[in-house]
This record gives sequence, C-alpha cells and structure tokens, in this order.
Amino acid sequence: MKRRDFIKQSSLASSLFFVPSFVKAFETATKNVLGYKKLVIIQLSGGNDGLNTIVPYTNDIYYNNRPALAISKSNILKINDELGFHNTLAPLKNLYDKGYLSIINNVGYPNPNRSHFRSTDIWHTASDSNVYSNTGWLGRYIDNHGKMPYSGIEIDDSLSLILKGETVNGIATKNPAVLNRNMRTPYFENILKQQTDDHLSEHNLGYLYKTMIEAKSSAKYIFETSKTYNSTFTYPQNPFGKQLKTTAQFINSGINSQVYYVSMGGFDTHVNQSKRQDKLLNVYAESMDIFIKDLEKSDTFKDTLVLTFSEFGRRVKQNAANGTDHGAANNVFVIGKNLSKPGFYNEAPNLLDLDKNNDLKYTVDFRSIYATVLKNWLEVNDGQVLNKSFKTLDFI
Amino acid sequence: MKASYLTHLYSRIGFGLNRKGYQSLKGISKSKIVDAIFESSKAPIPLKIDLSAYDSFVSMKSKNNAKNNQALRKLAQKNRQDIKQLNYAWLDRLRDTDQILREKMTLFWANVFVCKDNNALHIQQYNNILRTNALGDFGDFTKAIAKSAAMSKYLNNKQNRKDSPNENFARELMELFTLGVGNYTETDIKEAARSFTGWAFKKDGSFFLKERKHDNGIKTFFGESGNFNGEDIIDIILNQKQCARFICAKMYTYFVNPKIDEERLELLTNLFYKDYNIENLMRHIIASDWFYDEKNRGVKIKSPIELFIGIQNIVPVNFQKKKQLLYLQKIMGQTLLYPPNVAGWKQDRYWIDSNTLMIRMKLAALLLNNAIINIDIKGEFEDSFEVYYAQERKKNQFLKVASNWDNFDKTYGTLSQDVLKSLLIVSKIDKDTEQFLEGLSTKDNKEYMIQLMSLPEYQLC
Repeated sequence: MKRRDFIKQSSLASSLFFVPSFVKAFETATKNVLGYKKLVIIQLSGGNDGLNTIVPYTNDIYYNNRPALAISKSNILKINDELGFHNTLAPLKNLYDKGYLSIINNVGYPNPNRSHFRSTDIWHTASDSNVYSNTGWLGRYIDNHGKMPYSGIEIDDSLSLILKGETVNGIATKNPAVLNRNMRTPYFENILKQQTDDHLSEHNLGYLYKTMIEAKSSAKYIFETSKTYNSTFTYPQNPFGKQLKTTAQFINSGINSQVYYVSMGGFDTHVNQSKRQDKLLNVYAESMDIFIKDLEKSDTFKDTLVLTFSEFGRRVKQNAANGTDHGAANNVFVIGKNLSKPGFYNEAPNLLDLDKNNDLKYTVDFRSIYATVLKNWLEVNDGQVLNKSFKTLDFI
Repeated sequence: MKASYLTHLYSRIGFGLNRKGYQSLKGISKSKIVDAIFESSKAPIPLKIDLSAYDSFVSMKSKNNAKNNQALRKLAQKNRQDIKQLNYAWLDRLRDTDQILREKMTLFWANVFVCKDNNALHIQQYNNILRTNALGDFGDFTKAIAKSAAMSKYLNNKQNRKDSPNENFARELMELFTLGVGNYTETDIKEAARSFTGWAFKKDGSFFLKERKHDNGIKTFFGESGNFNGEDIIDIILNQKQCARFICAKMYTYFVNPKIDEERLELLTNLFYKDYNIENLMRHIIASDWFYDEKNRGVKIKSPIELFIGIQNIVPVNFQKKKQLLYLQKIMGQTLLYPPNVAGWKQDRYWIDSNTLMIRMKLAALLLNNAIINIDIKGEFEDSFEVYYAQERKKNQFLKVASNWDNFDKTYGTLSQDVLKSLLIVSKIDKDTEQFLEGLSTKDNKEYMIQLMSLPEYQLC
C-alpha cells in the first residue's frame, strides 16, 4: 500500500469512529469512485487588468489609450513580437518557459455584466448572463462526484456560490484546526453523540442533522488528514501565500478532495492602478511559484491543474484617476505539467474591434474551458455538470 | 387556540411567541386572535433615520464644479454609513415592533421586489414602500415600486429612453416580480420596456415623466394594443391569472410550507385574483384550518434574520459594537439591504451549508453565553489587498452584547421546562434528542433555554 493511501484510509477510519453508519456508507461508496486528479480554481477578485498583465507591447492603440498606465517596453518580459509579461510576473514567465503555463486570451461570455457580484455569480454558476442559478459548477461536480462536504474545499471561512451544489455543499476552511474547533460546541456535540441514524428523514429536520453530522466529521477528517503533511517551503508572508500553502497541504496530505477554490482580493484598481497592480501580480506570481514547487516535490503537480480567472477584465482606455474601470473579456491562466498546448492558446486581444462599451470582445466562452477541464481532466460528463453542452478546447 | 397552534402562527407571522404573548393569547379564539393581528398592524409606521444631511443635496443645483463635487464625495461616504445605520434600525424595528405581521411581511416583500441602492434616502423610501404596501393592494404596490428612485436605478429604468430602450426592468418585472420565467414572450418585454420609457425621478426621490423620452407609440402587450404607459402594463400583467398564482406561490412557500400543495395553491390563486388584496389573502391563510395542519408546522428552515430576531424575542440583546451586527449577518448569509442579486435570497435549505449551519447552531451561545467565534468575513470586491484580508488579524471574537437577563429571570425563571420547550421548539423533536433532553439535569432555565436554542430543531419554524 502506498503511504498516501495508507494515511487516507487510516485517518478516514479514525474520523469514522463516532459517525453514524449512513455517513460511513457514503464515504466507503465514494472513496473508490473519486479520481485522483485535482483542480484548483483561483479568482483574482475585483477584476484584474489583463492588458497590463499580458501586455500587447507593440500595439500603438494600447499605448495611446493608457498614457499614464501602459507598461513601457523596457519593463516587459517579451514572449513573442506581440505580447509579453508584466515584469513583476517573472516567476510566471519561468513556468511559461518550462511549458507549464497556457494562456487563453479573450475569455468571456455573451452579454457581459460589469457588476462584480453578478459577473462573479455567472462565472461561479456557469449560467447564461440572464439566468439566476442557485448552484455553482464545482458544487454540481461534487453533487455527482464525491458527495461529501470535504469533496470540495474553499480556502476561506465562508462558502461561495461556486461550491454550492443541489444536494451537497462544499466546505470552507483556511485553517483546519480552527474549523475543527469551531465545530465543537458542547451544546450540540452532546446531541450529535446520541444520534443513531435509522430515523433521520428526508425532511428538513433530517437534513439539518445530516448536514451537521457530515460537517463535523468533514472538519475532523480535514484536520486529521492535513496535519500529516508539513511543507518544507517558505511561502511569501501574505494571506494569499498562506491560502496556497494550505491548498498544497490539503493536496499533498492526500485529502480525498478534487476541487479547491481560492479567492485573492484587491484587483479593483479604479484609482492609481500601477503600484497596486505591480504588487498584486508579484504576490500572485511568487506564491504560485512556491506552490508549484511544493507540489512538484511531493509528485502531486502532475495530477494538479490550476486555473486562474477574474470576473471581468478592465476597460482598454484608462480613466481620469490613473486607474481602469470594469471591462469584459480577459485572459485565463492554465497551469499544469502535461498541457497539450502550452504557451498562448489563441490570438492576442483585438484592440480595433471593441464592444459598444469599448471593452474587449470575447472569442472563448469560459464555459468551454470548464467543459474541457471536466471532460479531459476530471474525466466526467461535462454536460451533466454544466447543464448544457459546450465546445471543448484542446489545451489539455 | 391550542398552544401548539399559537406558537406555529407566531413563528410564521412574526418571530415566535414569547411568554408575554403566550399568556395574553391562550384561551382566546382563533378569529379574535386573527382580527387582533391585523388590527395591530393597521397604520404603517415608516422606518426613519436622521437623513437631514441630504436636504442640501436635494436642493443643490447639479452643477459640475469643484465645490459641488467635493460635497458629493462627502455625501457618498455618509451614504455608506447611513445605509448601515438603516440596517441596524431595521433590525431594531424587527425586534421591538408591535406591528408584528406588517414587519414580517415587509421582510417577505423585500425578497420579492428585490432592490439595492447606495443612496440612503432612496433606499429608506424604498423600504417604506414595502412597509406601507405590505398588506395593501398588489397593483398599487407594484406601481409604487416601478416609480421608486431606488428601483429605477437598480434595474436601469432610468436609462430607458424612447430612442434607446433598456429592457432590464421590464424583463425582471415579469420574470422575478410578477409572472415567472416562461410566462411571457420576448416581444412582451420589448413592448413593456417601451411603455416604461421616460420614467424618471428627482433627487428627492419623487417620480416624474420625461415626456420627450417617453414612447407614445402603439404597443402590443399580451395581445392588447394601445398607447400604453407603465401603469397600463402593470394592469395588464395583473389580468393574467399567472400573476396571482406566482405571488400566491411565494406567499405559500414563505408562510405555509416550502413544499407547495398544488390544489391549495389553486384555491388561493382564485381568491387573490379577485381583488389582489394582500390583507384578504393573508387573512384567509391564517384563518384556515389547514394552515395549522401538522404537516405545515415546524417544517421551514428559518432565515438567518428569523433565527436572530427569534432569539431576541425571548432575550433582547443590545450590540455595543454595531458593526458586529453586520458581521453576524454576513457570516450567516443574509445582510438586510444587501441582497445578493435581483433574484434575492434563495430560502429554506439554501441557507444551509456546513459553515453557516455551524454558526447558526452556535448563535444562541454566542449571543447569550459569551461563546467565542473564530470566523473571518470575506472582503469586498472593491477592497484593496490589505483591506480584503484585514479581518484576518482578529482572532477569537466575542460578541459584545448586553443581554436583558433581569427580565428573563422574572418571566421565565420559574416556568416549567416543558412550557419553555413548547414555546421555543415548534417542530417535532428527534427521538434521540428528546431522550437527551429528558436526561438533562439542569434546573437552570437560562442554561436549558440556550440548550434548546442550540438544537437543530430550533433552526425550524
């Protein structure tokens, strides 16, 4: 038996000790079905300015529209004769050079919404922009694959729509020890101890008991499993670095969870963008660099795919406050070991052909990326999770 | 009326029954109680905070100069604070009101006519439209909503002009407020949008029509043709029985049972379709025998606000740090005046996930027993990196609250634990839990009450 499998099974066993048999049945049933591939979704929350991230440094329109904001040619890590990285992204450029990064340009959806809330909902639910859905696409994934709260983990303290399913919800934690402690309160610990499962019904009361029991056993399972791995890497001292460190700990300790969601804040740069974005991109790139090294060392990188998106890009033209306003299409980063099309997946943004708000038009529907990940990476029925069929791409 | 019926009734039309309510109502007939409920909610009392700072804004000429711009920036900051104040005031109102039904219905309508705005004056007006019309005529109600400044901004009706119609309001009016998806055509939306063109508001929030932006052409809507305006459109929508059915379904899932009984719904629809009088509909529901059927009692999962106010119905608490009120609402997933989107909060099971259930089960201990909480709230989209994660630094928070225990001791101190249980728990109690409660040796009613409020059963109403 492999070490990871052993840890998985023994910690599961110990967490099952006080758990009613119906939960036990859940866990043994799902353990064998779940694949070993991991998916980490990262949201650059607030709307990252993609044009100052992957820079069209030979395009005059770009420079004309951003007199105070455009990145000068000398500060670009050039990739080809059109595009280059913002120089704070050197660690990301390294991943690119190794063939671990694929950049998909012009990703968006029809009738783009420019509200953070709404557009985030749309990306989380994978719905059309005029449909209000109650479930997220990762939530629907764990509805069908995993079926326990810990099957999908958000590295935060409260759960986002992306991990809410129809019958199962993921769980949020950025510190498993705290989560485990929070779950333990004498007032209901005593009650749960007394529970047998034979009378729990499908009605709301049964649902509440079941959710509480599963939440508690999930918290315990995550805590006990994750503490079997301690990273030897030094992550950047900032909250995002910490989030990625926790994610690596979950993956490397072999938690039986396939999907992770991390939100990194701060990208809503309406005012004095340059300095702020420089720092943000640097935090992102340096943390990501260590994260990938951490996974590589445990040989889990080959089984992990990292997808980074923003709810929207920003307007081509800068505003009067040396910042940028909410835009539409944006780039998406895919990081993985065996990408079938590393480098630029598609054409650079077309700054001559903007929409009526003067924002970038999309040429790749983000749901095509989801469909590709579901079908080719997680190897499940993408139509079932997305409630619709989308053209798949060939980046993995 | 039976005690179990009373607690059920008050958990639905209010936030539960406390001892005072129980003593004044036991033994009184249903019809008298129902009459009294409506009588006490008769004259609406608007919710108002001090917004006199806006007077100068309202009278200000909209000139674009440095002085004005500075004043506007300051006002925008004040607005953000005032909306929080309004949130606190609304929570206080829910806790303290005698107009139990009207306030509960205001909360209900806030999740039907969903709206958000960053102007404190306009959102206060909007909130009071909900309150004033909560038991009134549904047609008048819908028209008042359509004319309100807050809604006009929220769904872009102020950008809806003859030469470039904006369909957002027309679409959501039908999809989310009156008919439901699939009960109208895309043409209906276009024609309705034309009819609402030119609807505008002044700074003070009052409605007016911009004649030159209004489309006076002939529109065809649900098979009728004419030079319709927005009010005509709402009248035609009301002519569709589907509108009555749509609202009755919302009422049924909120006040009766999250699972709809189709036959019952049809009867309610027929009744409501006659006059669209909300009070008549509500009176019919709570006067019916079936409302008190066992299958309808204790089957609804409380919203975070219902849970929070319900606890305070027994033991009122005052927050010394008002900000912690926002914190609590956020981690439980329902912040008043900040709905997630125009579809509103999904209710019942959608309130629950591992993280929210944990905090909900702990809420009584947090409020009443100084339990520790260790949960950070998410930052806002607009926050800088540092602010986004700012909550990280705070560990092990206590809620700084002053609870009114004196009153509890006087009122509940000597009450039998069985009666206390029947007041607090309306749902059936789980077999094992019942056994656990019987085995409890505590004589202290305070301790016993917190234990009851920490049961999964207490999550139901």
